[in-house]
Amino acid sequence: MPSVILNDTILKGNFVEKDSVSINGAFVGDIKAEEIIIKDHGNVNGNLNAGTNIEVNGEVVGDLSADRIHLTNFAKVRGKLFHKNLSVEEGAQLEITAQTRKRISNLNKE
Amino acid sequence: MFFNSNKKVESHIDGFSHLGEGASFEGEIHSKGELEVAGKVKGNISAKTLKILETGKVTGHVNAERVEILGCMLGNTSSLNIHVGEKGVVRGDLRFEINLSVAEGADVLGHVQKAKKDKNKKVDNEKVRYLEHNQRAS
Repeated sequence: MPSVILNDTILKGNFVEKDSVSINGAFVGDIKAEEIIIKDHGNVNGNLNAGTNIEVNGEVVGDLSADRIHLTNFAKVRGKLFHKNLSVEEGAQLEITAQTRKRISNLNKE
Repeated sequence: MFFNSNKKVESHIDGFSHLGEGASFEGEIHSKGELEVAGKVKGNISAKTLKILETGKVTGHVNAERVEILGCMLGNTSSLNIHVGEKGVVRGDLRFEINLSVAEGADVLGHVQKAKKDKNKKVDNEKVRYLEHNQRAS
């Protein structure tokens, strides 16, 4: 079962999840998971490392690495991105450097 | 798996945070609502309601209004209400104010204490005032 962090919850620390994580609250620290979804009210200060997919609809300060990174129109992101596929919707506020890599999954295993 | 997916939908409606079975978290958690732990947590938790599921394991201190321990709890728990399920394992102190219930089969090792409510102190203050008033009157 995937993890869900709601609006009323604040986490500080390192989070490792084998399944998917969806965050709508505040998080300070690094997240490593199969899939990471940051929702509207989500606010993450730390690095995100996903096996397959990262979707950002909230605010992130930190580095993101995943096969697919999707930044929606409400996303606010500052940091470095490592990805195979990157998609950005109109309206996203970004302060990023992006790098396309052939193999992201190897990065995650380290 | 079918039941799990049903639960997930519920969790969104009812509105509680959930740490999945495959999750391991190290650090602090502060929640103003309900939190369910099915994975591993190392660190202190403060929440309104905390539910440690059968697969869940918490190492650290817990501070809440209601705690349900169906899994493993290593560390001190202080809460208004505490419930330990039949497969619950507790290593640490249980400090409660209103209600403690321990199901048959639970494994508990630690001090158990009913803490005094703040209300008692208020009553004491009223008594003191009453006595002082009487003294002045006499």
